[in-house]
Amino acid sequence: MAEAVEIAGIAASPGVGLGPVHRAADVTAEVLALRDTVAAERDKLRQAIATAVAELRALADRSDEESAGILDFQIEMLLDPALVEMAEDRIVAGDGAALAWVGALDDYIAGIEEAPDEQLRARAVDVVDIRNRVVSALTGLPLEDFASGSVFVGKDLEPSRFLAHDWTAGGGIVLFEGSVSSHVAMLARGRSVPMVVATGRFEVADGARVLVDANNGRVVIAPDDGHVREAKPKKAEARPIAARRAGGVVETADGVAIRLSAIINDPLELKAINPASFAGIGLMRTEFLVASSADAVNEQRHYDIYRHTLEWAGDAPAIVRMLDLGGDKTLPGLGARKSESFMGLRGTRLLLARPELARAQVRALLRAAVHGNLGVLLPMVTVPDELDAMRTYFEEERAVLLGRGVEARMPEIGMMVEVPAAALMLEQFSHSAFFSFGTNDLAQYLMAAARDDQSVAALYDAATPAVLRVIAQCVGLAKAMKRPIGICGEIASDPRHIPALMAAGLRHFSVAPDRVTDIRSTISGLCTDGQAAAEMK
Amino acid sequence: MDNRSRRETPEAVDTHGYCQAEIEVTHGFGLHARPSVIFTRLAKSFPCTVEIEVNDSNVWLNGKSIVKIMGARIRTGSMLKIRARGLRAAEAIHALKALVESDFDEEKKHGRSG
Repeated sequence: MAEAVEIAGIAASPGVGLGPVHRAADVTAEVLALRDTVAAERDKLRQAIATAVAELRALADRSDEESAGILDFQIEMLLDPALVEMAEDRIVAGDGAALAWVGALDDYIAGIEEAPDEQLRARAVDVVDIRNRVVSALTGLPLEDFASGSVFVGKDLEPSRFLAHDWTAGGGIVLFEGSVSSHVAMLARGRSVPMVVATGRFEVADGARVLVDANNGRVVIAPDDGHVREAKPKKAEARPIAARRAGGVVETADGVAIRLSAIINDPLELKAINPASFAGIGLMRTEFLVASSADAVNEQRHYDIYRHTLEWAGDAPAIVRMLDLGGDKTLPGLGARKSESFMGLRGTRLLLARPELARAQVRALLRAAVHGNLGVLLPMVTVPDELDAMRTYFEEERAVLLGRGVEARMPEIGMMVEVPAAALMLEQFSHSAFFSFGTNDLAQYLMAAARDDQSVAALYDAATPAVLRVIAQCVGLAKAMKRPIGICGEIASDPRHIPALMAAGLRHFSVAPDRVTDIRSTISGLCTDGQAAAEMK
Repeated sequence: MDNRSRRETPEAVDTHGYCQAEIEVTHGFGLHARPSVIFTRLAKSFPCTVEIEVNDSNVWLNGKSIVKIMGARIRTGSMLKIRARGLRAAEAIHALKALVESDFDEEKKHGRSG
């Protein structure tokens, strides 16, 4: 058996991949077709470019937003007459269409590769991608794909080739050159494909077994079991059950412990809050973390934020709500249409309709769950099937991540209780690990009065008695199911409503950090039935 | 002198549909491919000619060509001159300058072609 060879590189996307090598052929300019007339060669080139544009548009249409943005850039380059003109000058000078195209593009690529800025140099491979696609259209030779599950080894990998390849069977990417800032590195991070760049050129036979250890920035040719074991992350040790923190628990006048967790709207807020004052995070919103639809599918950005949040919370639970878009919360291009109003495609409904959006966040949550005590809250669940469908995403993505050697752990998955139909049938949601009331939405759905419509604001305000009756009934159902139930709606941050919420049976409140002192002192002056301590006896 | 973070000159306009502005690139075309797409799409939406010059190079490039803009290797901190000639020249310069100043509206989604 061949001796293992280790090669150092730079990790561009974490994880571990193992598979047979696909050794990419170095593209050279040896595509000399027989030369026809100048007019015929020019026509051939224009047709090939039109074909390439059509292919890229089709690929963009079935890609997520971030990938489509990268392909749009390539399409825009191909539609720019400047590239054609550069090639046409060479056709007039006597080259065939293919040679003229490759020659013109290679000069242009060389110019970009000399750029002083790495971010700019990383764009060169996009132009290589364009060059190859047009050459393929000119010569009729298909763009080379490779067997799924294999490890791509080559000088660089073009974004459109990455996107056309099926990565679900694992594998990885090793680039002699490449860059952590390249489009393909962004795509690899977004899909958790292990990738090591800047290894320098090395020889490896096509089909040889190779280990991509992107957790440690190295590649091993013909690895033994020891190398593989070493690369795979150790199983996370079970963490102790969340310690109750003095500041996060307040006793009622009759001696019952009430938990107070924080509501976090923006990760920047964590800096200003002392974790010791809370029993963890009861609700962290995520829709405000993403400024654009590209951010929404940026798995690494999500992961970084969740990991930071879990580290802040320490052993205490941190509950992250999945993207709750639609209704009054929209992103450009997402949840902005009329049909996505308060009662349309929003919350979990939108996530299930846009799997690429949900799955990117699911992978980030699975990876982050290793770093703490994570709970995931699903917004606007209406029927148990929605909960099960999302749980399936978690299970599938976890299997893929573990298969790639990326550490991942199932978080507890709970649901918002904000749709009246779900609240009334809570016992059917036995697969939910916990429940949290979203009273703002619950009120508007109970009263059929939109939150953003001033003309019905009075009805919305009058919703409290109906909301409280639903809460009391749900608390009873959750107790029978032995599932924790809490509240993260706005009324829990208002001292005036605390007595009624306690009387309804709630013992866990998620509150705005700046209201916690008020809420704590209110609760300590009340008995568990919501009566003021002084009135007891 | 004021304390504005960006160095800029007042937009020079004449009566024959000519307008020019100078601005520092704080975001950088090089950072993403998308800014180049956004810039050229906006430039192409005006009927006038749009040209750019980077760091007083004396070379004026077609501002509607993404190939030329990528080839110009514009990086953060570059001084960009934009000039337009023809119909709606002043409007074009105003819009393109605002785009560079807003770091290419990165938070906004820009319509895909087709």
